[in-house]
Amino acid sequence: MSISLERVTKRFGVTFGVEDVTTLIPSGALTAILGPSGAGKSTLLKLIGGLVTPDQGRIFIDDDDVTDVDPRHRNIGFCFQNYAPFRHMTVAKNVAYGLKVRHRPRAEVAARVEEMLELVRLSALANRYPAQLSGGEMQRMALARALAISPRVLLLDEPFGALDAQVRAELRTWIKELHDRIHVTTVLVTHDQNEAMEVADSLIVLNEGRVEQTGTPTDLYDHPASEFVLQFLGPSTTVFGQAVRPHDLLIVPAGQGWPATVTEISTLGFEIRIAITLENGGAAWLQQSRAEFDAHPVTIGQAIGVQRRDATVSPVGTRLDPAAKPAEAVPDDGALTQPAP
Amino acid sequence: MTTSVIAPVAEPVRNRETNTRRRLPLRLIAVVYVALLIGLPVGFLFGKAFGLGIGTFWRQITEPGALDALELSAKVAAIVVPVNTVVGIGAGLLLARRRFPGKRLLDLTFDVPIAISPIIIGLSLFLAYSRIGAFGPWLFKHGFMLVFSVPGIVLATMAVSLPYVLRSIVPVLVEIGETQEQAARTLGAGMWRRLFTITLPAIRWALLYGIALTLARTLGEFGAVLIVSGNVTDKTQTLPIYIYDAWDQVPTNDAGAFAGAVLLAVISIAVLVVLSILRARERRLRVDIA
Repeated sequence: MSISLERVTKRFGVTFGVEDVTTLIPSGALTAILGPSGAGKSTLLKLIGGLVTPDQGRIFIDDDDVTDVDPRHRNIGFCFQNYAPFRHMTVAKNVAYGLKVRHRPRAEVAARVEEMLELVRLSALANRYPAQLSGGEMQRMALARALAISPRVLLLDEPFGALDAQVRAELRTWIKELHDRIHVTTVLVTHDQNEAMEVADSLIVLNEGRVEQTGTPTDLYDHPASEFVLQFLGPSTTVFGQAVRPHDLLIVPAGQGWPATVTEISTLGFEIRIAITLENGGAAWLQQSRAEFDAHPVTIGQAIGVQRRDATVSPVGTRLDPAAKPAEAVPDDGALTQPAP
Repeated sequence: MTTSVIAPVAEPVRNRETNTRRRLPLRLIAVVYVALLIGLPVGFLFGKAFGLGIGTFWRQITEPGALDALELSAKVAAIVVPVNTVVGIGAGLLLARRRFPGKRLLDLTFDVPIAISPIIIGLSLFLAYSRIGAFGPWLFKHGFMLVFSVPGIVLATMAVSLPYVLRSIVPVLVEIGETQEQAARTLGAGMWRRLFTITLPAIRWALLYGIALTLARTLGEFGAVLIVSGNVTDKTQTLPIYIYDAWDQVPTNDAGAFAGAVLLAVISIAVLVVLSILRARERRLRVDIA
C-alpha cells in the first residue's frame, strides 16, 4: 500500500509544522522520515495517521483519499513514541484491543493474539502488565498491538528514541527482519541518520517542515541535493566554502590542488583521520583507509595539496538521474573539478 | 584516613538522632493542635450523644423528623452525586484535553464554590430563582418552584459540590496524556468506547476519590441549603439543617441535635475512611507506574 501526500501543509506557529509537502512513499518499503528536531517529522507521520489534520493538501493511502477520514477508519498501525501502553490491561489484552473493537469472534481474537505475541517474542509475558515490562518489551507490545489489526500501513514515531544503545541496535535489526517477513508498508520517524541509513529502504529528509530530498540511503549519501542533506547524512567537512565528504578528499603532492598543512593524524582502527589547515586558515579533515594511508603516508606539519576525488560523488545540487549529466547541473566555476594549480 | 572511613557511616546516624530529637516537639504540637480542634470536641459530642444511653440515642435518630431529614439527605445525594460525577468527567476532559476560547474562565468558575462562602451561593440562587428573583416569576408561572422546595436544595447542593470530581481527575488526565486515547482511536475505537475502556479505567482511583469528596460535601452542606430550603420541617430539612433546627429550638432539643450530629459524623467519617483507602491505592498505583 503506497502513501502519497500532495501539497500538504500544517502550521503550528514556529516549529513542528510541515510546509507544502508532496511525496510518494512506496508500497511495501520501509521508509524513514529523517530530520533535525522541530523539522516536522512527527507531524508528517501524524498527518498520515490522521491524528493531525492538514490545513491544506490531500493524503492518499493507495488510491483512497483519506484526508478527511477519522484515524479509526484509516486502518493504520500507529506506534507512539512513548508506546502508549494501556496500563490497566495485560499485554495480551493490549494486543487484543483492536480486534475486540472490530467484534471478531473470541476464538479468532485469541488465536491472533497468540500469533502476534509469538511474532514479537512476548508469548511468555502475555499476562504481565505494561508497568512490569522493559522499554524494549513495551515497544514490541506496541508493535504487536498495531499489527494485530492487519493495518494497511505501519507508522512508527521515533521507535528507538527512549531505549539504551544496545537495545536500540537489537530492535533496529529486529524491525528490519520483521519488515522483511511481513512486508507491510512501514514509515518510521527518526532524528538519527545512522539509524535511518541502516534500517530504511528509502529516506525522506525534512528540514524546517520542507522535504529536502527523497531517495534510497545510497542515493542521498552519494548525491545530496543540498548542502543540508550532505551535512545531515554522514560526515562532512568544508573546503574553501564547499561542503564535501571527508573520504572524497585526496592528498596530492604539495604544489598541486589546494595547498594545506597536516595538523593531526588519528587512527580509528581501520580508518585514518587527517586534520588539515588550509591556506586560507580554514580547518578541514579527511578520511582514508589504513591501506591508502600506508601507501602514501604523511606526517604532522607536512605541506600537502588537497583535491577532490572525482569518481565517487557528484557535486552538491545534482540528483541521481541517469538522464542528467552531473557536471552540467552545477555552474562550472572550476573550483572543484579543476583545482587551481 | 581513619576519619574519612568512619565519617560517612557516623554522619547519617547522628543526623537521624538530631532529626528525631528536633521533630519530637513538632509532632507534639501537631497532635495537641488536632486534638484541641477536632479530637476533643468530636469526642465530647459522641460522649453527649451516648451519655443518655444508647436507647435514647436510637430513639432520637429514629424519630420521624430525623428520619425524614436523613431520607431527604440521601435523596439529594442520590441525585447530586451522579449528576456532578458526569458533569465533572465531561468538564474535566474538556479542560484537560481541549483548547477553546474562555477556557481559563471556565476553569476559574469551577473553583468559585471552593473559594467563596456557600451562603453566597445560596443567596445568589435565591436571587435568581425565588418568586422575587430574576427568573422566579417566569418559573412559578410555569409550575416550577425551585426555592423553598427539594429542587432548590438539589440545585444549591449541586452548585457547592460541583468542583470536586473535576479537581480530582484533571491532574491525572493531564499526567497520563492523550496518547493512550489516540492509540485506541487508531485501533478503531470510537469516542464512547475510548471513554469507557481507556480513559475512565486510567483515572479510576482519582475519580472515586472525587466522588467520595462530592458525597461528603453533599451530605454536609448547610449554608447554601439553609437559604434556599426555607427550612420547612419534615419537608425541606436535610440532616445538617435538622441538627441546626433541633439545637436552635426553644426549648432546645439537645438530645436530637447531638444524635443527628453523631449520625452525620459517622457517615462522613465512613466516607473519609473509604477515601483514605482509595488515596493509598492510588499512590501505590502511581508508584507501580513510575
